[in-house]
Amino acid sequence: MTTETSTSTGRVPLQRPYRPPRKRGTTSIWRRGLSGRATFVIGVASSATLVAVWHLLSATALVSPLLLPPPLRVAETFWQFLTAEYLGETLVGHTAASMTIVAGGWLLGGLVGLPLGILIGWSDRVRWLVFPLFQLLRPVPPLAWIPLAIVWLGIGDPARIFVVFLSAVVPWTINSMAAVSSVDPLLIRAARTLGAGDGSILRRVVIHTATPTLVAGARIALGNAWTTLIAAELLAASAGLGFVALNASQTLSSDILLVSMGIIGVLGALFSAILRGVGRAVAPWAKEA
Amino acid sequence: MATTDVKAPRRASEAGPALDVRTRARNHAIASIGSVLLVWLLVTSVFGLLDPETLPSPLDVARAIATLAVDPFSGSTLFGHVASSVQRWGLGVLAAVLIGVPTGALLAWIPPVRAAVTPVFELLRYIPPFAWIPLAVLWFGAGLTAQSAVVFVAAFPPMVINAQLGVAQVDPLLDKAARALGASSATTLARVVFPVATPSALAGVRIGLSNGWMALIGAELVVGSEGLGFVISQAQSNGETEVIVAGMVCIGVLGMLFDLALQKLSARALRWHA
Repeated sequence: MTTETSTSTGRVPLQRPYRPPRKRGTTSIWRRGLSGRATFVIGVASSATLVAVWHLLSATALVSPLLLPPPLRVAETFWQFLTAEYLGETLVGHTAASMTIVAGGWLLGGLVGLPLGILIGWSDRVRWLVFPLFQLLRPVPPLAWIPLAIVWLGIGDPARIFVVFLSAVVPWTINSMAAVSSVDPLLIRAARTLGAGDGSILRRVVIHTATPTLVAGARIALGNAWTTLIAAELLAASAGLGFVALNASQTLSSDILLVSMGIIGVLGALFSAILRGVGRAVAPWAKEA
Repeated sequence: MATTDVKAPRRASEAGPALDVRTRARNHAIASIGSVLLVWLLVTSVFGLLDPETLPSPLDVARAIATLAVDPFSGSTLFGHVASSVQRWGLGVLAAVLIGVPTGALLAWIPPVRAAVTPVFELLRYIPPFAWIPLAVLWFGAGLTAQSAVVFVAAFPPMVINAQLGVAQVDPLLDKAARALGASSATTLARVVFPVATPSALAGVRIGLSNGWMALIGAELVVGSEGLGFVISQAQSNGETEVIVAGMVCIGVLGMLFDLALQKLSARALRWHA
């Protein structure tokens, strides 16, 4: 600090804090990483803005409330729909109807897909026989089976379970196949050399490698099942969230439509979160995909 | 084939004549597909165990495809329906590429944008595309726009996510090095970010294309009056099972062709990539 200090005149000393000159090539403010707190605040602010814009759009009737009801009305409809019946069931009833079918198709998919995948992963011959058929059928989306399912099984639960099963069985099979073939044979031989029996190899080596892939398969299968179920309910159902959504759209009850879409989204996210949690619980050593 | 030779001793019982593994795999594939077709043919045409309304024979299906190709079904021939499906799919997918890939890149490149968009995106992503069908119909009416919108909704998320992943893979050190050497933002994007991000972004486009095709079939099943999805749903109400199966075959073959085409294209575009 060698600046002049002319205290006699009472002048303020000429001191400026050091600021490095901003050079070309330094990280601009837009590119800097954000703290967790800043990320949270920005996220909340942007979500709030979105809801506010939505509210303004419908409150000022820029968009007809028939097409986009205000957020408050959607919330109110949700509350009423919890107890009041629409198309023969309350919201809880429709949700339960959807979840029953999903659970059925998903579990059936696992029941068939798990052993099939393990077999395909284990034996070359089975893989050579089954995989081409699999590849042949895979490009046909499960949805495209809906008309055929209706012809075979009628408009009812079995048709929907069948279609959901088709969508879930593929990831179940593929992932259990991958789980089996991803076990390094060297590890098995090493374990055997070290004196491990079959049982202990299965418990300590195979399951260790296979579990994360299997749980991931279960999660993907559930996601597919849920997506496909909604489509199936648009076509062949007398209850369920997809059925509600389509009917609400046809009767211009857009508030009910948005409520059902919201529940569909929340449940989808919930399923995914639950199975991620299961994955962490049963295989804490695995890296999250 | 060195790897398979190493594996061979594990199954000594299968040693047999030393057939190339690929040949054996192909033989098995032919045998399995052939026997399924044969059983299908035997059950339907030869023994007539199942009536054609339940399961038409492969011959009926082939005949149905040939008929569809020349005679109009519900308004247009097979080619007309394919053209209208492909048009809707193309529009939705094109919009998804044009909006989704830049959005993903932006999300990875600019943290404040990521912080603002991610919560909303994650919230909407879990609503399956089919749940948007009723809303799309309400907003746009049952037609081209609604169906393209559903395709868009299905194709958009994987494109955003994979473009974001791709750009996030760029080593910040490379970015800084480019800057230090005097590269402008545009140059850095074109010469550093683009090559690193492209493979992942293209993978996202590929997933998006097949998701979009699936969503379109769903949308056509529910609403509309043309397209392959409409053909199979119409055939179901007419009780023409062979047309349903014919339509399913066309849907599967087209979906596979699109995927193959994109695979070839991206392999060509990424020749420099390992």
